[in-house]
Amino acid sequence: MRRWGLQYRGRDTRRLHQIGEIFSMAAAVPGKKYKIIKIDGGCRLNSRLCAMGFIPGEVFYVSGASRGGPLCVLVKGTKFAIGRGMAERIQIREV
Amino acid sequence: MTDKEITIALSGNPNSGKTTIFNNLTGLKQHVGNYPGVTVEKKTGIVDYKGYRINIVDLPGIYSLTAYSLEEIIARNFIVNEKPDVVVDVVDSSNLERNLYLATQLMELNAPLILAFNMTDVVKKSGKEIDIGLLSELFYVPIVEMVGSRGLGSNELLEAVIRVVNSKKEKKVEVKYGEEVENEISRIISVLKKQKVPTFNFDARWIAVKLLEQDREIIDTIKKASGPKYSKVEETVSSSINHITSILRDTPEVIIADARYGFIKGALLEALKETGSVKLDRSEKIDRILTHRILGIPIFALIIWLMFQFVFTLGKYPANWLALGFEKLSVLVTNIVPQGLIRSLLVDGIIGGVGGVITFTPNIILLFFAIAVLEDSGYMARAAFVMDRVMHKIGLHGKSFIPLGIGFGCTVPAYMGSRILENKKDRLVTMHINTFMSCGARLPVYILFAGAFFPAIAGNVIFSIYLIGIIMAVIMAKVLRATRFRGESDPFVMELPAYRMPTLKGILIHTWERAWMYVKKAGTIILAISILMWILFTFPMIGGNYSQDYAGQIEEIEQSFKSGKITSQEYDGEIATVEAEMAGERLAYSTAGRIGRFLEPVFRPLGFDWKMVVATISGIAAKEVIVSTIGTLYSIQETGEQSDSLKTALYKHYTPLVGYNFMLFTLLYFPCMAAMVMFRKEAGTKEMLFQIGYTLLLAWTMSFLVFQIGRIFI
Repeated sequence: MRRWGLQYRGRDTRRLHQIGEIFSMAAAVPGKKYKIIKIDGGCRLNSRLCAMGFIPGEVFYVSGASRGGPLCVLVKGTKFAIGRGMAERIQIREV
Repeated sequence: MTDKEITIALSGNPNSGKTTIFNNLTGLKQHVGNYPGVTVEKKTGIVDYKGYRINIVDLPGIYSLTAYSLEEIIARNFIVNEKPDVVVDVVDSSNLERNLYLATQLMELNAPLILAFNMTDVVKKSGKEIDIGLLSELFYVPIVEMVGSRGLGSNELLEAVIRVVNSKKEKKVEVKYGEEVENEISRIISVLKKQKVPTFNFDARWIAVKLLEQDREIIDTIKKASGPKYSKVEETVSSSINHITSILRDTPEVIIADARYGFIKGALLEALKETGSVKLDRSEKIDRILTHRILGIPIFALIIWLMFQFVFTLGKYPANWLALGFEKLSVLVTNIVPQGLIRSLLVDGIIGGVGGVITFTPNIILLFFAIAVLEDSGYMARAAFVMDRVMHKIGLHGKSFIPLGIGFGCTVPAYMGSRILENKKDRLVTMHINTFMSCGARLPVYILFAGAFFPAIAGNVIFSIYLIGIIMAVIMAKVLRATRFRGESDPFVMELPAYRMPTLKGILIHTWERAWMYVKKAGTIILAISILMWILFTFPMIGGNYSQDYAGQIEEIEQSFKSGKITSQEYDGEIATVEAEMAGERLAYSTAGRIGRFLEPVFRPLGFDWKMVVATISGIAAKEVIVSTIGTLYSIQETGEQSDSLKTALYKHYTPLVGYNFMLFTLLYFPCMAAMVMFRKEAGTKEMLFQIGYTLLLAWTMSFLVFQIGRIFI
């Protein structure tokens, strides 16, 4: 199913989160700041994410997102578009 | 005195202004090639400075030296294997923490490094101050301040290069990764030493770090070189990884990256004074509109529409001038060179073939101008962001939309434009389906056939062909993704760089490179293919083997004209009719005609006769040639797509079903030879052959189904 791009149909991940709750970046809401808690993409992807500044402890800002499409996040002074599949491997917490 | 030759490698993050600095240093003395065996572009340039001949290699823009992407491996291997005299790392000084990550890795690699702090004007404007002297001392690396967009700092950089070449590097900074990791590093180093594992050009500490980071490229190299001894190393490394993970609750590669950032933060704490707050206001405001949830796609469509207007509407005028020029040239040659083979070769073969391809040069120039503006301004990344959701559904990348859109104009620049896709699989799939975006040269064929068979609904019929093309593209994208280009595509992460005013110099250089590459191709391989096509359509010559006594007929007409029986208008018409019939017989007698008849059985199930096969073959030269070939085959003197006599002839010979089928076949089989030459250049011979093979097979199958099923109903 994944290859056919159907995996997100009908699922709304944008529910309200409680303070301190840890969840995946795919559920982040535009206009808020979050802290990265853990990245979990295997060593290759982790190295890549770290090099781009997505590192545990880092605070980032979500500047845009559309349902099903990529997220737009600001981390270490640079804006990135990050696909949902990738975002699901990053655990975050609201700050 | 002979110049001393030195080589410097230019590295840096994407969007750090590296290319601008490269252009400033080398001007037009650039050469664009590919790294051996891969499609990553390799730019080199030469600058002569104070008795030194400096070769500059522009490495691909990368975030780090891990082996994540092909670009990163290429950059790392170049630095390690080619050992450039100096590595210049271009750093966006308005974003030091991120950019110094790569610099830190270059320091770890112990490369002879210079840091070029670019965009220092932006830093000052934002109210920050960098203590360059202090940073330079902390890193033991010379630092040069530059403003690439205004051409400042190039000489200072070259001075620094010469200083580094002439001095020995005495000290090296060492990044510490924290006690736990350091202990494991020493453990691995001692195992490497004890097992006498070869470490090539690297030092043992670096290898140990890479092993902890699970760098597959390094692991494979070491494994291959050390054979059975590697098992001991592997054991140690995996126990180290387990140890670190259990104590620090994160994997080594994350811990090590964290330590690098820690090292950078430590240095910046002392050297960077922030007097104002960090701002990304302007970009953020523009992004609010351009990447808006709802407005994003319409704005994108508008920008792309404007781009096509710019490329094809504006480009039409110079293209027409060129076409007119070639027409004049063929008239000139016709007048100078006596009738015969040489004239036919020059006019029909060379000027017709190469001229037809050269005529598109203005479009190519404008297209790459537009792409360069979109890329350098930062919009291209937004376009990909906006389109990703839609394109993702058919297994493509957001940026794929751009070459696919261009394909409606001409497939050749579309293939060239596919370079904006970094991922190889995305690029190849996009290229393989691009042919279904029906190009401008196929339109005359549709106009002719739809006009001949469906005069009342010609517009709708042509639209249906375009639509079938798009549907085929979507289907084939999914099929290719599921079969040949299966597997994990790169997860979508892409930088959205701050909006910037593009520099004219950068855009012009970029445009020039592409246009020149195109013209060069037209002058070499396309020339050769044009001659080959001419030979196919000319030899063997019919000589005196005409079925009728045409010479006698001509003589008769001339006689009746001289005796005043017919007017000069009638005379012209009759002569043209006879000559057209002769041309038709010549073509039927040629190799192409014979191939057509030989292949007829293969195409019979599609409803095609040998004339259609010959027309299809001629379409390889350029699809619009199909129209004139059919004209010649039906011995019709006026052969435009609007020609009524040609339409009548077609209507007489074929059923509407066959007519439609021919349009379908023309849509689906691979585009012209110029496009295939470009395909080979971009993707290699194997992929080009695959493209030719699968589109032919698809075209045949689809036409077969349409004809056989259609026959039942009609």
